[in-house]
Amino acid sequence: MGSSAAAGGHARPRGPWRLAWSRLRRDRWSYTSLLVLAAVVLACFAGGAIATHLSGHSGEDLFPYAANDNLRAVGPWTRVPNLNNAVSDAYGNIKAPPPGTRTTLLVLGADGPLGRDELIRLLDGGRTSLEIAIGGALVALLIGLPLGALAGYFGGLTDAVVSRVTEAIMAFPLLLFLIFASVRLGQGIRGVGWGWEIPAGVFEEALLIGAFTAFYPARLVRAQLLSLRHAEFVEAAEMVGASHPRVLRRHLIPHVVPSLLVWAGIAVGTNILLEVGLSFIGVGVQASVPSWGSLLSTTWGTFFQPQVYDSRLFTPWQTILPTAAIVITVVSLNQLSEGLRHAMAPWERS
Amino acid sequence: MRVATFIVRRLAAGLFTWVVMLTLTFVVFWSIPQRPESFVYPNAPNPMPSFQLRTADRLLGFDRPKVDQYLDYLWHDLRFDFGHSWAGSSISPQQTLVKGPPVAPGLYSSLRRTLSLILGGAFFVLLLGIPLGTIAGSRVGSVADRTISIVTLVAVCLHPMILGLLLRSLFGHRLGWAPQTGYCPLGGTPGTSCTGVGAWAAHLALPWLTFALLFLALYTRMIRASVAETLPEDYVRTARAKGASEVRVLGRHVLPNAGLKVLTMIGMEIGTAIGVCIYLETVFGIGGLGQYAVFQLGGMGPLDLPVVLAIVTMLTLVVVIGNIVVDLLYAVLDPRAGLGPAARGEKSFAGGVI
Repeated sequence: MGSSAAAGGHARPRGPWRLAWSRLRRDRWSYTSLLVLAAVVLACFAGGAIATHLSGHSGEDLFPYAANDNLRAVGPWTRVPNLNNAVSDAYGNIKAPPPGTRTTLLVLGADGPLGRDELIRLLDGGRTSLEIAIGGALVALLIGLPLGALAGYFGGLTDAVVSRVTEAIMAFPLLLFLIFASVRLGQGIRGVGWGWEIPAGVFEEALLIGAFTAFYPARLVRAQLLSLRHAEFVEAAEMVGASHPRVLRRHLIPHVVPSLLVWAGIAVGTNILLEVGLSFIGVGVQASVPSWGSLLSTTWGTFFQPQVYDSRLFTPWQTILPTAAIVITVVSLNQLSEGLRHAMAPWERS
Repeated sequence: MRVATFIVRRLAAGLFTWVVMLTLTFVVFWSIPQRPESFVYPNAPNPMPSFQLRTADRLLGFDRPKVDQYLDYLWHDLRFDFGHSWAGSSISPQQTLVKGPPVAPGLYSSLRRTLSLILGGAFFVLLLGIPLGTIAGSRVGSVADRTISIVTLVAVCLHPMILGLLLRSLFGHRLGWAPQTGYCPLGGTPGTSCTGVGAWAAHLALPWLTFALLFLALYTRMIRASVAETLPEDYVRTARAKGASEVRVLGRHVLPNAGLKVLTMIGMEIGTAIGVCIYLETVFGIGGLGQYAVFQLGGMGPLDLPVVLAIVTMLTLVVVIGNIVVDLLYAVLDPRAGLGPAARGEKSFAGGVI
């Protein structure tokens, strides 16, 4: 029927999603950040394996000759002896590598005293960070959406109790809850991981971050459902005999999806920074597992064991590269989220 | 609503928050596996002999019913009587408890440090944010506007810890413009170089700058949007037509609109500001409430319940009082809104603030 209407010279009506997409396409900055994000995700999930294949070493391989006597790591684009053990004499002094040793290229230099490949660790670390961030947002959604939907749809006493308690908890620094929970409650599931794709600690951090940030989607959904609860289309659906689950699923939840998408962009960005924070506090993933946070805390130490930065011991690259990765990703997420807000509800001024 | 009624109602709501948080702390304390008895017998073998366990339980009051203990803590903390910390306590030869150091002095000292950081930082946020937001908002799309937006955006997407460390190594270490770490009390410490307001401000200069940069993006953007929205209004044109100077037009007619939004945001962000302070206090070695809380909560040893409850009480007090002050200011700025919880928006930004 749509095609016959189009043939008759009428514009074919476009759905809200197509409209939003075409608005997003026209928004130069948001579209760019969408492409940047796609590149970041692709690089983080596939780049590590490709780089390992091309260079012949993985992010776990140690190159002791990639650090000098002060254990200061080499900078970008350095060829280092392809030896995983330093050759030392009988007194433990490190000798020059034997003649004829082949070299290998560290594209972005080494990550610290152990001399691992910074590029591969950056890519693999990005995968860990993104897994935690996206997983955390998903967990928050899984908890927050039903909670908010119930509170907003049924209202009454449950709503009042849930709202008061979440407000009380939200007033406090989220970080304190997270630190406490990961030290005391996270021990049992800390080791849960699945191979190199999902390293140990990712599941635990995603679960904890999700559980403590679930208030945001819950409040969002609750507020929207409260305002839509008595709209005409809902009453019409109820009048023709739609059940509660059907009204929620077919008529109410679709209205919440745009604002949940906007929220998700912000949440993933915040979770990336939270992961960095947890690594700095010393309750994040283990230092041997690469993540953007653990790459930074290799240089700067943790809350309980701070290191004094000494330019003879560290290269600035160890700070600059992970920081750049974080900033690019979080800025793009912010911009994309902003763009989505305008694309999906351009009539709302924020 | 009368001001007094309003304050009483908000304090009652705050009291509810406080009771919820304290109850939560108490429940968590009893439900996690730990041995607080080892505070009394630090050198006891593991597992602890049962006579030592019994003695320690009696001395710490664990042999009483849990409800009694709970109400006891509630009642004492309500009157800011925080008691003595368990850490540092020991047993006298007469088998009585030698109490640890009192909780209050350390708590108040760290609170003063955190408040110095937050209040000073908030002042700098406004000091930088109002002019920057006004410039950006009155020239939307210009080079200045773009530059301000990008710089503040990048600053907020940096992690507080990274930003603090970068500023510290640049201004503190390389250039030596400000002390890198440490804190000087406002009153000064006799016999040291820590004297007076100057030393206090010098030691806090870098933390304030970091704090301001972290929160700047949010407020600059908000002021920019509000100014851009208000400038084309008729009453602004009227004010200009009357011959009011540009400063007067902006200060009297345009910026008060932005003030309301900024104020609600400040009210929402008090809790997050304390979270950010955890990082900044660590970077700059300030030793404030956030650091204190992390040391108490983030360690592996048993929880020092009196100290933890005191920290929770203090945090609640800061958040509740901060919100009451913000709401009162809101009512002064916008008499139409009256007294009541100001219309709260949602934070629309990732970064800086966690």
